[in-house]
This record gives sequence, structure tokens and C-alpha cells, in this order.
Amino acid sequence: MTEFSMNISQMAWPCVIAAAWLLGDIVNRSLHLPRISVYALTGFALVNLFPAYLSPLDNHSLVLLANIAFGLMLFEFAYRINVRWLSLNPWIAITGLVEAGATFATVYCVALWYGSTQLMSLLLAALAMSSSPAAIIRVINEQRSSGQVSERILHLTAINTVLAVFVFKLILVYWTMQTPGDFLKASAQSLNVMLVACASVLVGTVFGILLPTILRWRGKQAQDATLGFAFAVILLVALTHASNLSPVLATLSFGLVARHRRISLGRTQRNFGILGELLAVVLFVFAASTLAWTQVRAGLMLGSLLLVMRLGSKIVVTTLLAPASGISMRKGLLSGLGLAPVSVFLILNLEQTNSLGIATTNEWYALFAMTLILEIAGPILTHLALYLAKETPEEQEQ
Amino acid sequence: MPLVDFNKSDALSVGVELELQLVNLSDFDLTAASPDLLHLLAKRPFPGNVTPEITQSMIEICTDVQTTHEGILQQLLAIRDTLVHAADVLNIGICGGGTHPFQKWTDRKIFSKPRFEQVSALYGYLAKQFTIFGQHVHIGCTSGDDALFLLHALNRYVPHFIALSASSPYVQGGDTLFNSARLNSVYAFPLSGRAPYLLNWDEFAHGYFSKMEKTGVVKSMKDFYWDIRPKPEYGTIELRVCDTPLNVERAAALAAYLQVLCAYLLERREPPPEEDDYLVYNYNRFQACRFGFDGVTVHPKTYANTVLREDILASLNRLKSHATKLGAEAALTHLSEVARTGNDAQYLRQQYQESGSPEGMVHSAIHMFRDRRRRTRWVAM
Repeated sequence: MTEFSMNISQMAWPCVIAAAWLLGDIVNRSLHLPRISVYALTGFALVNLFPAYLSPLDNHSLVLLANIAFGLMLFEFAYRINVRWLSLNPWIAITGLVEAGATFATVYCVALWYGSTQLMSLLLAALAMSSSPAAIIRVINEQRSSGQVSERILHLTAINTVLAVFVFKLILVYWTMQTPGDFLKASAQSLNVMLVACASVLVGTVFGILLPTILRWRGKQAQDATLGFAFAVILLVALTHASNLSPVLATLSFGLVARHRRISLGRTQRNFGILGELLAVVLFVFAASTLAWTQVRAGLMLGSLLLVMRLGSKIVVTTLLAPASGISMRKGLLSGLGLAPVSVFLILNLEQTNSLGIATTNEWYALFAMTLILEIAGPILTHLALYLAKETPEEQEQ
Repeated sequence: MPLVDFNKSDALSVGVELELQLVNLSDFDLTAASPDLLHLLAKRPFPGNVTPEITQSMIEICTDVQTTHEGILQQLLAIRDTLVHAADVLNIGICGGGTHPFQKWTDRKIFSKPRFEQVSALYGYLAKQFTIFGQHVHIGCTSGDDALFLLHALNRYVPHFIALSASSPYVQGGDTLFNSARLNSVYAFPLSGRAPYLLNWDEFAHGYFSKMEKTGVVKSMKDFYWDIRPKPEYGTIELRVCDTPLNVERAAALAAYLQVLCAYLLERREPPPEEDDYLVYNYNRFQACRFGFDGVTVHPKTYANTVLREDILASLNRLKSHATKLGAEAALTHLSEVARTGNDAQYLRQQYQESGSPEGMVHSAIHMFRDRRRRTRWVAM
């Protein structure tokens, strides 16, 4: 008779993910809260309760799966972005820029006032600008919402995310340049940043041109385009990691170019179907599981303060500019509220900028606290904004 | 409540209503955008009128009362330009077409308005699958008797309007093999089809309508989904069989054809309508819906079989002098061209072949609505 034995640590992650899915489903059915909030909460709680068994960043297959999930969501997110709209209604772009600028300024001032260094305040301000493309596309698709608040949240998030990545990198270059004697190193670094960004966009663009061409060449694509796109995203994420390019920029440009090449994902394949559902659990459990309770507690005070100021600036700007951009102030306010989710750690992890040497201060932990709160509360606020804007289907009405 | 008196209006005055699709520019599915669009449109004067429809992914526009083809066309163009501008501000697409080729009725939302909610409660899923898009044309009549005469005299010409406007070949993602599948959805309603054969307004209002009202089945004329129905408060008859065409030029031409045809029929040179005309009515209607111009219709008086295309061309030819008097030559020339080259249903099927997806059909429909002279290109929207 074969002796039965079990390595508990190997079972840990599958159990966490399955538990997160089950809890998400139960809470969604009973309280109508977004599933991804529950995934995040489950991930954070279990990893902090059983740190010995669950160390997310050491688990390479988990990291890869999370990266693929993020890539798929970024692709679908970018596919929903209509660049032409920004020129037809310039107030959308203006709102995006002013909203991101106001958030940056507010968070920078508050962080400085709290006693952070200039560099730390700048970095916090840059990261606070961004909303979470993954959380937002997930909530919009999960709720099957449609309307101006949904559209604006998507487009404003695209603008503030790109701005956040760009400004964050600029600040790092500026910081290196300020260091005496490092001018050459700084110049090389900035050149490298630009090259990496250009190469990433280029790779994404090539994918965006090639794939629709291949699919079109194969004939009718309505039935199976989704799988083709899914494989392309997986390949692209692997490629960017292997070549140290930016997966965020690459998948975003892939989505944008694919949209312009006009091959549509069918309605039933939203979220990449079951594959997307599955990977979303992995991604949101993983994202929150990288946060440690001790760090969150250390940054809770500043984090909460920054969070309120961040959301406040976004709401004020989107509300005031709403009439000029063609919607009511109420819908403008709800657009600002919907921008709540934040995704700084996903960007940081995926951009492979973890080893900054600054990630041990209390101010930096404010980011941990803000992220955790918004990983859980952000999707709920977005859902609330869509619900109040009457953009979710009528399950609620009935 | 008894039926209101038939308000007299100028003979042969015309009004056009178009139900239009609101489309998401990312996935080309219908989108619940009418509250946002109506909010934006309310800020500026609108040429004609715009109102919500039963689901939030539709709107209805209508012209003021017009007397000529040119008047109808110019106002429809002005409405079109206003709508396109507003749609651009909100990142939505607007298009014609009798059905959306792949929308799922389960995804639709009922516009919050008491009548729509009552209809939805009564008809269940029929209300949501009524997310179909038609063109309604009103023709002014000087009396209720004239209205009923025209309503029945037009019975033999109803297939013409179905075939010329047909633009609903796809439903719920599949090719129906129909040119106008939209009318099948209308047929599901219990009070659809043709109006009862009555030629006297008093008999209609105080006899038929009163009895129907007493049964509790109907409360107003709005409860009848007939192909042609009288509209006493406007003093018109309303032709309701047309799919919304892909562009407003075709919509104006169809309205002008009806106007010219009514002018001709009011001369009463044709044998008068009779109950037996309706023996072939449903068959002819089906032929037009299913086969378009290739359908074979049966003449209600002579029982002669004619290919619909030939019948339409003959009719357009016969009406030339009337068209000249009413300034509608261009409209009839436009429709002759359509009968020869193909209707919107054929165009949409061709777009499916070229683009390889139902989304491609919607994409080209959006371009057609913006400006029919502009060739569809695969560009970002």
C-alpha cells in the first residue's frame, strides 16, 4: 500500500485562490459587493495570518499568472479607449490632465506637510495620480454597466495611469541627476528609460498590427478571436519580461492598436470569458497579498489622509468640469468617485522598480495602507458610482 | 376614454419619425445611452423633436410638419448633424437599421417612464425584444373618412415600403434570411397586423374603438400595433412598416414616395379598397419581408403574380407626374435606383462578408448614417 503524505505548503496557494473565489461569490450574491474586493481582502488576510506558507513574491508561477492576468486586463482596458474621442471632446483630456495634476499637487503638499522628504512626496504624489485600470475594467464588465460615467472612468483612468508611470520615471531620473557626480549615470538612465518605453510601445504596436492581420487572413474571426488575443497577450507579457521591457506600456499599446485595426471581441468574450474570470481571482488575491499588516499599520495615518485628499481632488475637478464636457455635475461627481481604485503596486511590481532602496520608510508605508484600503474599498466605490448613475443593469430595479 | 375627434390637417402634409440605435464604439453592441444623450441635446435647440424610446439604447427623432421632399430632407439632415455632433461629445455611435445584428434582448434596460414600465409589465420579454427600429411616416388628412380610405387603399403598396426600407437581416447574431426581420417582432404583439376594414370614421370611433375599449383590451390608439393606423389627434395616418434606413436621405425619399402615392390614391382612379384585398395581404407582406425585391406578390384585385421589384418600378414610373407636382422627382429617382441596385439589407450582408463579423455591419451602419457618400473605411471611432 502506498504511503499517503501531503506537502501542505504546495496546497496553500490553490486553497487561498479557491477560498477567495468562493467567498467572493457568496458576498457578491448576498451583499452585491464587487467580487474583486473580497478577493483582495481574502488574499491580504490569509497571507498575513499564515506568512510561513504563503509568500507571494517567491512563488514564480503565481507572479507569472498575475502578470498574465494583468496583461489581459490592460489589453481589454486599452481596447475600450477611443483616442479619437479625446480630440472630438477635448474636455475629456483636459479633465484627465487637470484631475491628475490636482491630485499630484494635493498629495505632494500633504505629504510634505506631514514631514516626508521632497523625493518621497514627489513619488507618492505621482503614484496617487493613477487609478486602477484592472479594477475599473473588472467592475465595469462585472456590472455590465454602460453610460457616461463608465466611459469617463475608463478614459480618465487611461490618462492618469499613463501620466503616473511617466511622471514617476521622470522623478526617478530627476532624483539621480540631483545626486552629485552622477550626471553621466543619470543621462544614461534617462536614455534607457526612454528606449525601454519606446521599445515597449513598438512591440505592442507590432502585435496590434500582426494579430488582426493573421486573424483576418484566417477568415471569419467572430467565433475565435478571443483565444487568439489571449495567446497574443500571454506571449507579449512573456516577451516583455524576458527582454526587460514594460509590460504595462506594451499591453496598453497592443490594445489601442488592435482597436484601431477594428477587430471586435464579441460580447460573450468580455473579460476573456472563463479564462479572464479565473485569472482575475489570482491577480486580485496576489495584489493584496504582497502587502504586510505591519507595514500597513505603520502607514495607516498618512495613507488615510492621502486617500481622502486624493479622492477629494479627483471629485472636485471632475464635478466642476462636467458641464463643459457635456454631462451633469452629478455625473461628473460620480465619475470622480468611480476613479477611487488604485493600482500602484501592480505598476511598481510589473515595472520591476521594487529595488529602489527607499521602500522602508514610514511615508512609503502610507502607500501600502492606501493601496490596501483602496484594493478593498475602491471597487466598492466604483460600483456605487455606477449604481447611483443608473448605469448598471436593472437587477437592482426589479 | 372615448377616441378624440379626428383633427383635420393639411392634405398630404408629412411628418417623419425615426427610431435610432445607440451603439458602444468599443464593441458595437447597443448601449444604454439615451438619458445622457437627451440630457446633452436638451441644452441646445433641436431641429424637430427628440424623445426617449422604450429601451435606453434607442431614441426617436421626428420632423416638424413638412409639405415637400426637400423640406423633409433638409430637416432630417439638420437633425442628423445635431445628433452626430452630440454623439461625438459622448463617445457613442448612432445608426439606422431595423434591428441591431447581435444585441441580446436580456441586456436591455427599460427607460424609466410610466407607459414603458406598464408595457414592460404587460408584455414581459416582448417589450425588451421590441428593441427594433422603425421609420414611421405620417400623412395629413382632411377628414377621418379620407384617413380610413387611404389606410385601406395603401394595403397593396405596403410590401413596397417593406422592401425599399428593409435593413434588418440579422437578429441576435444570426442571419435570419429575411430582408426585414423586424416586422416578425412586431407580429408577436396581439394587436398587430392590419386595421379592421372600416371606411367610415364614425363607425370606427364610436363602433369599433368603443367596443374594444369596453373589452378593457385597449385604452388608446397607442395600444394598436397595426401596420398603418390613424392618428386622430394629429389628423394623420401613420405608416409603420418601414425599417429605419441606414441614412436619412432614404428616409426622406420613402416619406416622399408615400406622399406622392397618397396624392395619386386620393384621385380615386384605382378600384376602391375592399375587405377581400386582405386575402393576399399577409402573404404579400411575408414575401416582401423574406425576399425583399425578389419577393413575388399577388395583386389583390387581379391575382396576378408580380416580382416586387417590377411592381415597385412600375409604380414609381406611374407616379412621375404626381411627383413633379409635389417636387419629389429626386426621391423617386433615388428609390428606383435602390430597387435596381439593392436595399440596405443587401448592403449589410455585403458588409458582413467584407468585414467577417456582425460588428463590421454596425461599424458600416454608423458611417452610413453620418454621411452616405463617405465610403466605409476601417478607421478608429
